[in-house]
Amino acid sequence: MVTEEEIEHVSKLMKIDVDDHKEYVDKVHTMIDYFDILDSAGVESEEITIPEIPIANLRDDEYIPFDDKLIEKLNHYKGTYVRAPKMSS
Amino acid sequence: MNLKISALDFIQEVKNGNISAEDFVANTIERIQSVDDKLHAFLYVNEKAIEQAHEVDKKVKSGGKVGSCFGMPISIKDNICIKDTKTTCASKMLEDFVASYDATVITKLKEQDAIFVGKVNLDEFAMGLTTEFSAFGPSKNPWNNEYVPGGSSGGSAVSVSAFECVASLGSDTGGSVRNPASFCSTVGYKPTYGLISRYGLISYANSIEQIGPLTRTVKDTAFMLNMISGIDPNDNTTIDDKNEDYLSEIDSGIEGKKIGIIKEMIGGGIDPAVLSATNNAISKLESLGATCEEVSLDMVKYSVAAYYTITATEAGSNLARYDNLRYGYDFPVEGYEFNSYISKARRNFGPEVKRRMIIGGFVPSAGHAGKYFLKALKVKSKLTKEINDAFKKFDLLITPTVPILPFKIGEKIDDPVSLFLVDINTVTANLTGKPAISIPFDNSNGLPIGIQLMANSMHDKLLLQAAHALEQTVTLPEIPI
Repeated sequence: MVTEEEIEHVSKLMKIDVDDHKEYVDKVHTMIDYFDILDSAGVESEEITIPEIPIANLRDDEYIPFDDKLIEKLNHYKGTYVRAPKMSS
Repeated sequence: MNLKISALDFIQEVKNGNISAEDFVANTIERIQSVDDKLHAFLYVNEKAIEQAHEVDKKVKSGGKVGSCFGMPISIKDNICIKDTKTTCASKMLEDFVASYDATVITKLKEQDAIFVGKVNLDEFAMGLTTEFSAFGPSKNPWNNEYVPGGSSGGSAVSVSAFECVASLGSDTGGSVRNPASFCSTVGYKPTYGLISRYGLISYANSIEQIGPLTRTVKDTAFMLNMISGIDPNDNTTIDDKNEDYLSEIDSGIEGKKIGIIKEMIGGGIDPAVLSATNNAISKLESLGATCEEVSLDMVKYSVAAYYTITATEAGSNLARYDNLRYGYDFPVEGYEFNSYISKARRNFGPEVKRRMIIGGFVPSAGHAGKYFLKALKVKSKLTKEINDAFKKFDLLITPTVPILPFKIGEKIDDPVSLFLVDINTVTANLTGKPAISIPFDNSNGLPIGIQLMANSMHDKLLLQAAHALEQTVTLPEIPI
């Protein structure tokens, strides 16, 4: 059973404010509770299959120049860098 | 001018000189202006569409080389990038985002002289199945404006069914093309995973989503597939379909084909009218020479939980890029600490996106991955084995596209689990990578019912042949607008 504290903790890690408790914590709780149905699927011994793409099928790892100057499309572009907020309060 | 014609009829009419692309597109834009206030399919209308159609007409008249679309007006779901055009994902977060490149599907359609009449509505970042989660307001079902049109490609389905375009492109992560196609009485197609490039589709859940067409007829879908399918060096998950012609031999019929009826998709909770339509579809397929028999896919009952677990996990990762530094809402960085700045930027996501991102952080986290994410992947593997086994016995599988009729706007928005279950018949094709199509089949008290057919991977051509055969048996009422 998931607790509200766990949901609030993950929200903080995902950088999402959950000021409206009913909209977020309660509904997320209901949704995750529904996923408990997976416990009855009996798939514990099942192997997870992952589609593999042979390296030969991948395009060459080469730099492909882009037509536009992409960095200039960023909002806080200054000269040759992007301005970000300071890391500590 | 008859705006109700199919894509193939439009092309023939322009080729024969009976209509001009410019007139047709101009009438289409007028149509959008007259009905879209009510329906809200469009987020943006291309003001240059008429001029672009005029250029196609000039090529037609001069006998120059004309692309196969001949100026056909197409709408595009607003999570597919068109260069120099706003691509919002129906989110405040991307309200002012202008795409700097064309998606591969857009490049291909431009080369074939398609005209993009506009970008159409969706649930924010394609997360939803009603369009009620669009930050710019819901689209309305043209069959009854009080009802949802389905989603997330609701704008696509509305624009095709209300004659605001001839065809549309949507994206299907768990039924997002087929569900609105069913609710609005259009054809909706989810191809084999990898058949259509996702380059330029704004990512939600990469491992299972696909771009797919919504059209008036199955033949139009086959035509659209001819235009946009194939291998793409910009999307390593694409597969080589050897330039398959999906339109040729579409009249082959289904005599001798074996069709499995998925037991778990016609069970509890199904609307009686939907069940009756499904049984009717099965009878019609039998009368066309197919044999139908029940088949059980045990994992279907866990498929929706597995689907939401996997998609939320991928969404949590994909949407991490919206930190307002690389993408996102615009406000200055001065005076903010890094984390609080990103949290403030993320307030611009709508409630459903936030909920799925929280789930996407939770279900794969240390301590919970074994119970949720890894188990979901195991269900996906087992479901794939079950459906592969089914395709050893059957050529095709049949289900209703959605087990219930379209419902009223607002009816289910506060009940996430009842919304989940609307997806029960569509997520299997996404989790297993199989192609699936929804065909308009019936109408109950003015509300459309769609039937879904599925085929094995890379059997898209067979699927379209069967869908075309079934479509020929159907006569539906005119849309009341």
